[in-house]
Amino acid sequence: MKRISDHPILGEPEKGQLVSFFMDGKPMEGFAGEPIAVALKAAGVMVHRYTHKAHEPRGIFCAIGRCTDCVMIVDGVPNIRTCITPLVSGMRVQTQDGVTALEVSE
Amino acid sequence: MKRYDLIVVGAGPAGLSAAIEAARCGMKVAVFDENAKPGGQLFKQIHKFFGSKEHQAKIRGYKIGETLLAEADEAGVEVFLNATVAGIYLDKEVLVQIGEAMTHFKADTIIISTGAAENMVTFDGWTLPGVIGAGAAQTMMNLHGIKPGQRVLMLGSGNVGLVVSFQLMQAGCEVVALVDAAPRIGGYGVHAAKIARCGVPFYLSHTITKADGTDCVTGVTIAEFDEHFAPIPGTQKHFDVDTICLAVGLSPMSQLLKMAGCTMVDDPKRGGQVPLVSENGETSIPGLFAAGDVSGIEEASSAMIGGRMSGLAAAAYLGFLSESDKEKRLADLEVALNSLHQGMFAPGSKGKTVAKTDEGIAVSQSLLKKGYLEDTDLERFVHRSNQTDKNSGIHPVIECTQNIPCNPCQDACTKGCIKVGKTITALPQIDDASSCTGCGMCIAACSGQAIFLVDEDYAPGFASITLPYEFLPLPQKGEQGTALSRSGQPLGIAEIIDVRNAKAFDHTPLVTIKVPAGQAMTARFYQPTTQAMEQ
Ligand SMILES: Cc1cc2nc3c(=O)[nH]c(=O)nc-3n(C[C@H](O)[C@H](O)[C@H](O)COP(=O)(O)OP(=O)(O)OC[C@H]3O[C@@H](n4cnc5c(N)ncnc54)[C@H](O)[C@@H]3O)c2cc1C
Ligand code: SF4
Ligand code: SF4
Ligand code: FES
Repeated sequence: MKRISDHPILGEPEKGQLVSFFMDGKPMEGFAGEPIAVALKAAGVMVHRYTHKAHEPRGIFCAIGRCTDCVMIVDGVPNIRTCITPLVSGMRVQTQDGVTALEVSE
Repeated sequence: MKRYDLIVVGAGPAGLSAAIEAARCGMKVAVFDENAKPGGQLFKQIHKFFGSKEHQAKIRGYKIGETLLAEADEAGVEVFLNATVAGIYLDKEVLVQIGEAMTHFKADTIIISTGAAENMVTFDGWTLPGVIGAGAAQTMMNLHGIKPGQRVLMLGSGNVGLVVSFQLMQAGCEVVALVDAAPRIGGYGVHAAKIARCGVPFYLSHTITKADGTDCVTGVTIAEFDEHFAPIPGTQKHFDVDTICLAVGLSPMSQLLKMAGCTMVDDPKRGGQVPLVSENGETSIPGLFAAGDVSGIEEASSAMIGGRMSGLAAAAYLGFLSESDKEKRLADLEVALNSLHQGMFAPGSKGKTVAKTDEGIAVSQSLLKKGYLEDTDLERFVHRSNQTDKNSGIHPVIECTQNIPCNPCQDACTKGCIKVGKTITALPQIDDASSCTGCGMCIAACSGQAIFLVDEDYAPGFASITLPYEFLPLPQKGEQGTALSRSGQPLGIAEIIDVRNAKAFDHTPLVTIKVPAGQAMTARFYQPTTQAMEQ
């Protein structure tokens, strides 16, 4: 389990409503209001994007919106920093490949 | 354009403290922070702070943050969130990005308290998903309730690396090793000892040579380095991990000060490029101040004092505070700041090797290299009082052996068993003339989790040891598990004979174990049986 269900100091984490969203077309669940990156992490997604030239994978690095490693295409808009962008029900999140969406074979 | 008497950039401990002081003097104050939540680093810090009462010692970081926010609110400070200050211009004008909009604000004084950014190191595979900063680990687990990974290797043994390693274990992750290129552990010995007794090995003079994996981290290789920073053949060690956490220092985020035209200096002791400032944080530009980590990497306690000083100085600069009042109040804060700047980890001692404590006792080399006190170190440090309460043989054993600015143990004991004295960096001493009731307040108050209650004569052939246990699941009375030594080695069966979790302990439950009498001075941690089986 990636989520912390009970913490010795903080207790149970406070979370919003459970909502569904789409990751590269696949339905996934997360809590509304938490960073998109957290919902992806809970679902086991590690790669957020591939770099333009070398096609190298990138994922969460700073988690505070500074490094841009975690950017993805969200509802069609590229370069969204998923570590500081709150999850909204029905969001369409896509792995970013350079500056476009990664082609996913269904 | 909106005008203020004071604009503060950054709502961390420094910025909020500055804003509170200035607003209390009657100034109209605005604070901008790029985050959705104010508080800076404080909200990720779930451990009890060091210092003394005036520095809010033994209070957990996030609680200090909540208090600051309430005070700022009460003082009438306006806090703007999701507001990144992108530019600072002549005549104290700032450009702020709030959402998509760029807005100009103007003030007569400005305090920059933008904190610090994490340093990075590069190695083969360092860009793979799964390599994260220590701040990211804290953000994920302490703010968003998610584990950064299952098996983690930590690089960096400064206080950040040590504190975050402990927090990772509290969140339920396994820390496989703590690695540092330096030959000695950089942070407080008490922080290292908390991790070592859980069985985490320290590898000093080591660094990461390679992170494995194609799409994310699947393993890591470390190696020992010689004096020319070349890996020594045959010293490679491999660990299966899904996460590599980097805690290799912080650098002041001083770009705005540079942009404003302040005189900057390169000062490795303060963490890099910092502004030239007076004692109360005034830069080379009159009316422009810097406070907190941005003017030199320290910690939250000193950031709060520094913030208050520049808040007062800004108030005096505009005439909201008389010069004589300013001098008086700054002098008090100066004393509070100085008490933090003493001891082995004082900013002035950075990079120096300290061989002896202020008391003239040789420091434990094992603590510096392996993270725990060797049995042979004990005689030098651990004072065992002979005098105990008539009804019980319980007495405190304090394993706090470095001069760090900290004294809540002294305040916690109403029986007067523990003395630190006026200089808060002095080593705590046990007063033989006082008798211990076993109340446990000292254990819960100790920010370093370095106090244990020992009763050598608990039962014929058995001793009892009471220790702090900030992990889940909380052991139950009657349960049996394994007693661990200071280095995390299993010593044998331990039985839980008491579990106390009073409100006054503030989430530091006290667990009492029964062990063979011979382990009274060696058993220092408890491992439940299920955990031992999982590993
Ligand atoms: C893991 C860890 C453990 C620690 N443990 C302790 C401890 O036990 N005791 C202790 O005293 N200290 C501790 N510290 C240190 C302490 O957290 C810092 O020294 C302290 O937070 C510095 O305060 P600050 O206000 O200068 O900066 P910060 O707390 O970093 O706050 C700066 C704020 O400014 C914002 N900001 C930056 N740039 C801009 C901009 N351009 N526009 C708008 N906003 C901006 C940032 O987002 C941030 O919110 C620890 C630190 C870490 C990382
Ligand atoms: S257990 Fe209570 S009485 Fe004994 S030293 Fe600690 S605080 Fe003092
Ligand atoms: S024993 Fe006292 S001085 Fe040492 S860490 Fe604990 S509270 Fe601080
Ligand atoms: S992880 Fe660095 S910007 Fe999101």
